Amino acid sequence: MADKKKRVTPYAVVCIVLLIALAIFFIFPLYWIVTGSVKEKSDIIIKAGEAIKWFPTTISWDNFARLFKTQTDFIVKMPLAIRWLFNSVFISVISMLLTCITASLAGYALAKKRFWGRNFIFSLFVCAMALPKQVILVPLLSEMNVLGMTQTTWGSLFAVIFPIVGWPFGVFMMKQFSESIPNEILEAARIDGAGELRTFFNVAFPLIKPGFGALAIFTFVNSWNEYPLQLVMLTSSEAKTIALGIAGLQSEMSNDFGLIMAGAALAAVPIIIVFLCFQKYFTQGITMGAVKG
Amino acid sequence: MKKKRILALLLAASMSLSLAACGGGDKPSDTPAGGTETPGGSTAAQTEITWWAFPTFGVDSGYEQEVANAFMAANPDVKVNIETIDFTAGPDKLTAAISAGTAPDVLFDAPGRIIEYGNAGYLVSLDDMMEALKGDLANENLVETCVGADGTAYMYPISSSPFYMGLNKEALEKADALQYVNLEGDRAWTTENFVKMCEALSAAGATTVPGIVYCGGQGGDQGTRALVNNLFSSSIVGEDGKWNIDANGVKALEQLKAMYDSGALDAGFDMAAADELQKFQQETAAMTFCWGTSNAKSYASEDFTQISVPFPSDDGKPELEYLVNGFCVFNNKDDAKIDAAKRLVAFICDDAEWGPKSVKQSGAFPVRTSFGNLYEGDKEMSLLASWIGYYGPYYNTRAGFATMRTEWWNMLQRVFQEGDVQAQVDIFNTNANA
Amino acid sequence: MGKTKGSKRSLVLQRRETVVSYLFLLPALFFFVGFVITPMVMGILTSFTDASLANGNQGTFIGLGNYARLFKDPVFWKSAWNTVVIVVVAVPTVTAFSLWVGSAIYKMRSGARSFFRCVFYLPVVTGSVAVVVVWKWMFDKYDGLFNYIINAFGGKGLAWTGDAKLALWCIILILFTTSIGQPIVLYVAALGNVDQSLVEAAQVDGATKLQVFWKIKWPQIMPTTLYVAVITTINSFQCFALIQLLTSGGPNYSTSTIMYYLYEIAFRTTKEFGYADAMGVILAIVIALFSALQFKVMNGGTTE
Repeated sequence: MADKKKRVTPYAVVCIVLLIALAIFFIFPLYWIVTGSVKEKSDIIIKAGEAIKWFPTTISWDNFARLFKTQTDFIVKMPLAIRWLFNSVFISVISMLLTCITASLAGYALAKKRFWGRNFIFSLFVCAMALPKQVILVPLLSEMNVLGMTQTTWGSLFAVIFPIVGWPFGVFMMKQFSESIPNEILEAARIDGAGELRTFFNVAFPLIKPGFGALAIFTFVNSWNEYPLQLVMLTSSEAKTIALGIAGLQSEMSNDFGLIMAGAALAAVPIIIVFLCFQKYFTQGITMGAVKG
Repeated sequence: MKKKRILALLLAASMSLSLAACGGGDKPSDTPAGGTETPGGSTAAQTEITWWAFPTFGVDSGYEQEVANAFMAANPDVKVNIETIDFTAGPDKLTAAISAGTAPDVLFDAPGRIIEYGNAGYLVSLDDMMEALKGDLANENLVETCVGADGTAYMYPISSSPFYMGLNKEALEKADALQYVNLEGDRAWTTENFVKMCEALSAAGATTVPGIVYCGGQGGDQGTRALVNNLFSSSIVGEDGKWNIDANGVKALEQLKAMYDSGALDAGFDMAAADELQKFQQETAAMTFCWGTSNAKSYASEDFTQISVPFPSDDGKPELEYLVNGFCVFNNKDDAKIDAAKRLVAFICDDAEWGPKSVKQSGAFPVRTSFGNLYEGDKEMSLLASWIGYYGPYYNTRAGFATMRTEWWNMLQRVFQEGDVQAQVDIFNTNANA
Repeated sequence: MGKTKGSKRSLVLQRRETVVSYLFLLPALFFFVGFVITPMVMGILTSFTDASLANGNQGTFIGLGNYARLFKDPVFWKSAWNTVVIVVVAVPTVTAFSLWVGSAIYKMRSGARSFFRCVFYLPVVTGSVAVVVVWKWMFDKYDGLFNYIINAFGGKGLAWTGDAKLALWCIILILFTTSIGQPIVLYVAALGNVDQSLVEAAQVDGATKLQVFWKIKWPQIMPTTLYVAVITTINSFQCFALIQLLTSGGPNYSTSTIMYYLYEIAFRTTKEFGYADAMGVILAIVIALFSALQFKVMNGGTTE
């Protein structure tokens, strides 16, 4: 590995240059949002003919001040926007935990076990992903209403979480990751007399950890961005998520870009933190070679 | 193989049944635990109602809570929960909630949607309230905006305001085009002068483009429609009550298309009203076709003077489109709730103290003559109030309005891009009535 | 179907495995059946009715009426065409590009690798409302970033999303930036999982880099590629929020997709849920067929 890196081929140079150029392109929207959140209105809405303001001329916290203006009582007195942030985190964390547990168990079974109805169930999982969520939105709301989950703040938060956990993409992903577990070592564990659960936790799980880490992040981000479900299920202002809350700060004709940028910046921070925290799980895949060899 | 498949299906079905059953058994026990949201305050006989409010009283203004608190103080037997919804996603949320049976009790909105819900049978009749109001209405046409297809009143109006145009005074001066604008009296002006003004602006290059006919998005379509309808005094509704752009409408569209081709106007195929307003504020365009009392507030600028003018028309007599704000009450099969909801609506609109306050908060003009002039001494508002006489026939409550709006955008896009106005209008006339 | 390969295993063992497997599946199935399948079945049933907001969502059964209507609806066909263009362009580009980025960065030092992985994941993180606001400005005809750059080089600005011929490509570009984050993360993980001993053995045998990639790595990352392809296919087919926020399907339906048209029917115009759901069912069938094809083609090479 080490000596390979030292050889600088033209291909590697092209790669690096291209990657850096693309990186700038990809960072730009976030850069624009973060700087936009501290820009003054005159810097965001530029008059015709004036040059683009690449950097904020003055740092203004006015957008954030307006974002945090409304207060609410939740444990302590806090800005409503922080409550929204809490709701987003709550939905995403609970969805993430439940999805990781259910999906890794199910994905493992679908990949490594031969049982009656396996293909049918897997096909059902994949087909369900194909149906657009808009089709289930209205029936789902009636269902949640019948279950009495739409009337209360906590109930409606769970009304968002449950369908996310049920959404089969996690199962599908963990099934694909579990495919790479070598059958031999599962067989070996079985011969050693390990029970099913022990085989899963001690043998299979360490091998699918990188996938597990990726799944955790994806679920977190997906539930963070799961707008249609949040829109339909969450009604009271205490139950809103940050995405809904920000959307609600616009009026029909005006877009207060500064406020949107401030909200988006606030909303992006937790996910980036989560991403950085879970990074290390992706890289733990090196164990694989050792196992097989 | 087949047997296996059927068995599997049965298994899945039975599993879903048992899950649904245990789900049904489990969840209600959750409710009381979560229901501790509103500690104290709720006595046994209290009726709880929910009010969904679009930001017609201003975004995040807190006025809704203020007026609700005053109402609850006067009516201790009612508890009002306020949920604000926005114009972007709010309509979708309403559609989902209504069809799933989780509609609110009170909604603050405009006739377009309210009458649609009323005609579909989701609302309670407000005939009794409307009857009491009739003698006091500022404009008889207003009754028309509040009733459904069968003549039942579903909306209780509170305030109204016209839609008109906004101009950039300095840009006009720069292009020596201010001479074409009438700033006297009620400011009515002619199509001829409008064309001349646009051409002068274009020739002088005072702004990037003279004006933008926006052709996309949701909402704000009344602006472009008023422009088209006024240019040669046409109507969007035929004599048979169907959606129909007549020969004069075609003439107007041809005029706009010619102006677009010559650069006297631009068309924004991907632009919604909000985008056009922003271009007006940024001085990219010297006029806006979507000016109104609330937009004048949102898009105010310190860099130039904004002038309000009615839409130009060939006979110099505009027919303005207008906004009506009002309330409706959903039929949630609970008489106590309906009664409480109606009392809330009456309080917000008619209370001696809060009624006028609410009207002012909505930035519009009262529908009640008895409220008098709420904007005494405000020249701009007095001018706008005088335009109430120019209110045209109201068609937002007609069947298929939502479909017509979508078709309207597409028609505009095709007119500017593909030409052959008559053909595009024919498509519109067919599709809008489909 | 579900036939065990090891014929030596007894029926008892087989039955035991089935029971164990279902226990593993049970938690996932609870949420899946309860909160996805149940409303889905209700939605599919609605597609055979004329339910709409106007009739109180209490439709009467009209058989395949909605489906027959679809085939005569020119807007549906236009939307279907746009959808196919998006999928056919986006899926191969996203898959190939993310594989390229993945293989370019997975052997970098961990700092650089984390940096790039994070950077390409950013558009997923920032949420569509704010991102679209920025993109909208970049595509702006009058003072947008792209025209600013074009003008700086003396070119003539384009109308971008206002141009019926360009608008769909603008959508595809944004879709591309928001789609490659997850595949890159997955590819980096999968490539890190590739059996290093096989790679080394091949190198000892004098295999070129390209050979090592195709003969050793490619088969091993096949499950990931399959996942990426299927997920990207589904996401591209269901591309919606971008369109709603950026173009509302215009100009003149040039960016309308089945998904957007479905939404417009269900929530904006006529609010005919039955008709919209029928569109959703057709879309699901098409996606399922596409996915099945991908499974067939790609699973050919790998063993189970």
